[in-house]
Amino acid sequence: METKTAILERIEERAEVLRRIKEDLISRLNLPYRPEDLHEDVSLLGSGLGLDSLDALEVILGVEHAFGVKVAEDNIGILRSINTIADHVIAERRGGEAVS
Amino acid sequence: MRASPLHDLLAARGAVFGERAGAEIIMRFGDPAAEYRVVREAVGISDMSFLTRFAVPEEGLDLLEAYAAGAVASIRFGRVLHTFAADEEGMLEADLFIANDDTRLLMLGESLVDDSTGAAALRGLGAEAAGLEDLSAKTAVIGIDGYRAFAVARELFGADVLGLPYLSVETYELLGEEIRLIRAGKTSEFGYLLLVPAERAADCWLEIERAGAAFGIRPVGAEAHGALRLDGRFFNIHAEGAAVRDPLPLGLQWMIDFEGEDFRGKRAIAARREAGLGRKIIGVIPADPAGGLEARDAILLEGEPVAEVVCAVDSPTLGSRIGLALFDVAWAYSGLTYGRDRGGAVRTISMPPFMPRSLTVKLDEQ
Repeated sequence: METKTAILERIEERAEVLRRIKEDLISRLNLPYRPEDLHEDVSLLGSGLGLDSLDALEVILGVEHAFGVKVAEDNIGILRSINTIADHVIAERRGGEAVS
Repeated sequence: MRASPLHDLLAARGAVFGERAGAEIIMRFGDPAAEYRVVREAVGISDMSFLTRFAVPEEGLDLLEAYAAGAVASIRFGRVLHTFAADEEGMLEADLFIANDDTRLLMLGESLVDDSTGAAALRGLGAEAAGLEDLSAKTAVIGIDGYRAFAVARELFGADVLGLPYLSVETYELLGEEIRLIRAGKTSEFGYLLLVPAERAADCWLEIERAGAAFGIRPVGAEAHGALRLDGRFFNIHAEGAAVRDPLPLGLQWMIDFEGEDFRGKRAIAARREAGLGRKIIGVIPADPAGGLEARDAILLEGEPVAEVVCAVDSPTLGSRIGLALFDVAWAYSGLTYGRDRGGAVRTISMPPFMPRSLTVKLDEQ
């Protein structure tokens, strides 16, 4: 079990990544939502926000630009949800460690 | 109870029937875990006739705008909107697909209320003047879901069907009958709903089985669909929807047109939105894969409750239980390990927790 202090530290890191991803999504895709409207598990492809392939490319560019991480062209799996993008960003920062 | 037009055929196949909101539903044919794997690895066929189904002429658009939370007027021809209907308090009442089908709108719903209650709500919004037609007695709904569902659709309707995007509707012929094909599964694999004439429903089922035989098609019930939805992170109104009812903690804001016309319950939902979210659901699994996870398990941080599990199922893909828990928003983040009231630990996870095989298929290369 993690301590409250440890959990708060991890939440702080994740919340900052999630906030930036949401703001970038809303801005780049002109979504009619506030950041707090976007649940972190909302599907990005197909159901949910229903991004098409061009939107997906925009999102990848946004992630790479905002966080300085690379997303491989064939790594569409990270676009399953906002949370899975955040997992990728945090894992890259930690040198590839799985985070969820 | 509203019976399925496929009842007799599927009873003979060993279907175990149940009831949801006054409609007959098939819970399983055999082992739900095996039925789950059929969808993830091959293709399943399901009787979805428990869905409510209505048609509204295009002149009756105002009715659906007043009933559904999404931007109904913006649905382009041939496309489908996934949204919901709420009661006056803004609590979930039905999960809806609304399709723009040429000169009319089709509405298929999974409801928490029975047919008469749902009909009363629609009457109160002007259903008669709008020309609302109940298609439930005239039609059946057959679902084809799975990694190989596209191959069965191609076998039945030709290669053009592969060009249908997710959330679209098209007219095809099946056994000489005009049917509607809606690409709109909820399993995270390929999915199609076929709206077929009730009197030919059994023949259509048999024809789909014939076309799907080479791809391993098998019948699948609602219990397997429940697991497929949860670990595929598709909203299930009969699981987390029934437990929570408020669309905002459920993360359904994407189904709502906040800037559009008024709909039933919109004021209540908008007021809660302005007040801010206090809780929301996120995915959880037991830290020990062999550990259990059940609805109403309390999740603890240093002995204090921070969440409660609202639904849980076995996930054959993960090899463990998986659930959704309603967390205080301050603690609702994935990648954390919490305690539990009945011992052991649970981990919060990002959803969906795996890459569905269907997302790796390029239909234009099939």
